[in-house]
Amino acid sequence: MGDIAQALANLEEKKVYELVDQKVKEGANPLDIIQECNDGMIRVGELFSEQKYFITQLIFSAEILKQVMKKLDPLLAGLQTRGAAGGKVVIGTVKGDIHDIGKNIVITLLKGAGFDVVDLGVDVPTDKFIQALKDSGAKVLGMSALLNFTYPVMKEVVDAVREAGLRNQVKIIVGGTPVNEQVREYAGADYYAKDAVVGVNICREVYA
Amino acid sequence: MADEMKQLFEERLGRYHAAVSLEPHDRIPIATGSNYFAEVYSGNTKQETIDDPEKWLQAEIKFCQDFPEVDVLRDNRVYGPLYDALDVKTYKLPGRELAPNTQFQFVEQDYMKEDEYDDLINDPTGFMIDILLPRFFGELSNRGTGRSYVAMLKAGFAQMMMGGVMRNRGMVLEQQCGMPQPMAGFFLAPFDALADAMRGMTATFLDMFRQPDKVLAACDALVEEMVYVALSLGDPLKRYPIFVPTHKAIFMSPEQFDTFYWPSFKKVMEILIDSGYSIRAYLEGDWGIHWHHMREMPKGRVLCDIDSQGDIFQAKKDLEGYQCVAGGVQDSMLILGTTDQVRGHVKELCERLGKGGGYIVSGGCSFPYDAKPENFRAMVDAVMEYGWYDKSVKAKPKPAPAARKVEGLKPRKVLTPWEVKKAELGQITGDENLIKKNWEQLEAMAHTFIWQWTL
Repeated sequence: MGDIAQALANLEEKKVYELVDQKVKEGANPLDIIQECNDGMIRVGELFSEQKYFITQLIFSAEILKQVMKKLDPLLAGLQTRGAAGGKVVIGTVKGDIHDIGKNIVITLLKGAGFDVVDLGVDVPTDKFIQALKDSGAKVLGMSALLNFTYPVMKEVVDAVREAGLRNQVKIIVGGTPVNEQVREYAGADYYAKDAVVGVNICREVYA
Repeated sequence: MADEMKQLFEERLGRYHAAVSLEPHDRIPIATGSNYFAEVYSGNTKQETIDDPEKWLQAEIKFCQDFPEVDVLRDNRVYGPLYDALDVKTYKLPGRELAPNTQFQFVEQDYMKEDEYDDLINDPTGFMIDILLPRFFGELSNRGTGRSYVAMLKAGFAQMMMGGVMRNRGMVLEQQCGMPQPMAGFFLAPFDALADAMRGMTATFLDMFRQPDKVLAACDALVEEMVYVALSLGDPLKRYPIFVPTHKAIFMSPEQFDTFYWPSFKKVMEILIDSGYSIRAYLEGDWGIHWHHMREMPKGRVLCDIDSQGDIFQAKKDLEGYQCVAGGVQDSMLILGTTDQVRGHVKELCERLGKGGGYIVSGGCSFPYDAKPENFRAMVDAVMEYGWYDKSVKAKPKPAPAARKVEGLKPRKVLTPWEVKKAELGQITGDENLIKKNWEQLEAMAHTFIWQWTL
């Protein structure tokens, strides 16, 4: 693992910025710096799975990454971005629920793992999920919720995916506080992700 | 009738008190904390419950009549007119921004900015009224206008109306239905007060890494404010525990929790317990790595609700002999399961968790309002079949423990202390105490009003 990746995995915020500034000054390819950051984020995800890191650390790592991207964005213009190796994922918090903290952590980790994420935000109506799947051609749909009245809403989205003729092409993941295996089964989704890292790993599997 | 209801009230409250304080009682209480199911069962929309107190009360009476086995029924905490008077931005409400049948939801943001810690720490109440409340309330966006004054005046009236609604509701349920409440009044752990409505979760967590000393100082500064909100809103007779929902602990590592969350939270709880109250704490999410701390609190004084994500069997084991635990009935089973599944599930809870007392049947913290009515009935029936210890035990309500001298509780820091007003008045020709007493009472009420918006 490179210096930047290591510093990011250790959550050494200032050191990450210094190293990035230094590499930029030395004329390093920004895409290589991003790749290193992604390696660091993957390590953060592993530490989370090992219960050495908690949500607070995931959030902090995401913030550091965000600041690095701010530095690099101006340098990326004109560069050929390396196509999202991980593929596309459509994600949103379902209709009636306005909570997005969990969803946003998943998005950060997905981006860190190289996925191209279509974030539909919160309180997302069913037809918006369907439209986004059609527009993007994504093979994964992630639905998030905090409140337990959303079970029927998740089912409605799964049914709508079927009615739209997309069910065979799209794997559906449900996650969030009130979700469990029983809810997954009721909604007719393919996977229940008990935390953000599990969700990202499922996306990797789908696109493997 | 009146005598019968009084007896029923005492029987239920006695059972609840005994379970909380780990003393013998006849059966496992059915004593969920937040029960939104009651109004939904009775046919109210979510909007009617927050906007129409009469419909709300009628719905609760119907619930009490149909489920007489239930031991407590909780208070509503959102009174729509108060939120409308101020245009409160921290909540979305049914019938306003949300569909009439969607539950109210909290809108978390960094209302307080990263460079404002010192303002909060140096003058918490002044910071609330001058800086944060105008950001919370749309009606205060043009401060100094007639409309903004009237909005605050209306909010004061609405607050009094809400107090009247709650008092009436408590009396009707007590006298007509013999029904006690699971809790009265509330507070937040200081870290949550900061990380919910003030800085929001993401910003507070970043501050924890970037300016840890400020976060700690802010939590310390909020201890007194939370204590006084709780003491003002708690049951004057101290029959009911004071409620504290916990929000951010589950995202923290054990070290972070021990440093940032627990010390100030513990201090608030200790002061309230010293003042003669018990506490009902919702350990929201999976508190498995943190709940052992509840063993540090006086025995039988903090009822711990274990959420659906936590392992309540482990919680019972870890807290056995220290604190009572509530919960166990899985939300998803109540909403999606069959009556046979619920019955089998509750039987197991009664047998395994009920053993030795110190257990209350409930859902995970908030009881899901989308529970199927037949599943709620199945839950109640299963407790009535499998939840008995000894029918000859008749636990009486416990008198409030004598309040001890509360060490370390400083006087309430109101916005305009009497001394300031007195100096402004210059001369008092009559009995100063008559004026002072009322001045201080109103200042205390204003202080509570200001701080309640952190929840």
